[in-house]
Amino acid sequence: MPGWVFIITRSLLFLLLLFITTKILGKKQISELSFFEYVAGITIGSIAGEVVTGLEGNLYHGSLAIIVFGLVTYLVNFLSIHSKKFSDFTEGKGTVIIRDGKILEDNLKKERYTIDEISTLLRQKNIFNVADVEFAVLEPRGNLSALLKKENRPLTPKDVGMKMANEKEPQTIIMDGAIMDEALRWAGKGRDWLYTELEKLGVTLDNVFLGQVNSYGDLTVDLYDDKIQVPQPQQRPLLLASLKKTQADLELFSLATECEKSKAMYKKNAALLQETINKLEPYLNG
Amino acid sequence: MTVGTQVKQTLAGLKSAQAAFETFALQTENKSAKKLYQQAAKETQSIIDNVEPRLQDITAEEPQYNQ
Repeated sequence: MPGWVFIITRSLLFLLLLFITTKILGKKQISELSFFEYVAGITIGSIAGEVVTGLEGNLYHGSLAIIVFGLVTYLVNFLSIHSKKFSDFTEGKGTVIIRDGKILEDNLKKERYTIDEISTLLRQKNIFNVADVEFAVLEPRGNLSALLKKENRPLTPKDVGMKMANEKEPQTIIMDGAIMDEALRWAGKGRDWLYTELEKLGVTLDNVFLGQVNSYGDLTVDLYDDKIQVPQPQQRPLLLASLKKTQADLELFSLATECEKSKAMYKKNAALLQETINKLEPYLNG
Repeated sequence: MTVGTQVKQTLAGLKSAQAAFETFALQTENKSAKKLYQQAAKETQSIIDNVEPRLQDITAEEPQYNQ
């Protein structure tokens, strides 16, 4: 048998073996979170490469080595789940580098990191001033996680006391002109609803490249034909506008009328409506 | 435009908002939003019930504008 046939068969065989090994080890292997996965990732790859191209090498020895590496990693993962002590030992623990805004020089020395290296890691997180950091940990895989001081963190709606509507994840219900029935069910809708919504937008199903529905039940679509303008869902902002108008009307009536009883009635209802508007604004703002 | 038609318009706006709230309450899968919409629908309905008698008073006071 000529050499190239060997290489082709071996390549295919080892590709399959590597695929199965990583499949069994799971997502953790791909992200190489712990020491064992890191080592297994490197070693398995080079063993496979060696055996595939080195024709004199023994096929079974190579496969055996890959299986052993895979098996040990799998076992370590399995034991780590069951014993915290074991996982601390094998996967390592993070080292605190900055606490209360102060660099812990002893820990830095223990991990043999220079101040330049720590600065680099911080800069990769867009932190240029060490004084901005409240707390930082060197993770077992060598990357740095940093918690900024409260005043340096990005502003969130919570910080300014804004009330936000909570939102569920949008569902992709049309892909490539085909209806995804499972996602449609997750969104709590049916095909009839979808056809009605598409008709409202004035598009046909086979022209839709991507269609998503948000937690309010608004359908947004992307069409194959990019020249067609699709109307954006306007229902909720429209409702908010009309509510505001009615509220203003009620205020106006309360000023205009001379009947004391009606004045009070209008005023009360205007206040009531304002309260409703305030409560609903986060949901209606689009 | 007479005061009667103005109030009528406002009432129509309120009624459409009330209907929209009920539709939204049915449409959304978000539990808290659903509750809020239902509550809003109820409140709007109570406002409508409050204002409607006034419309009858006004139409009684402005008979010259009624056909």
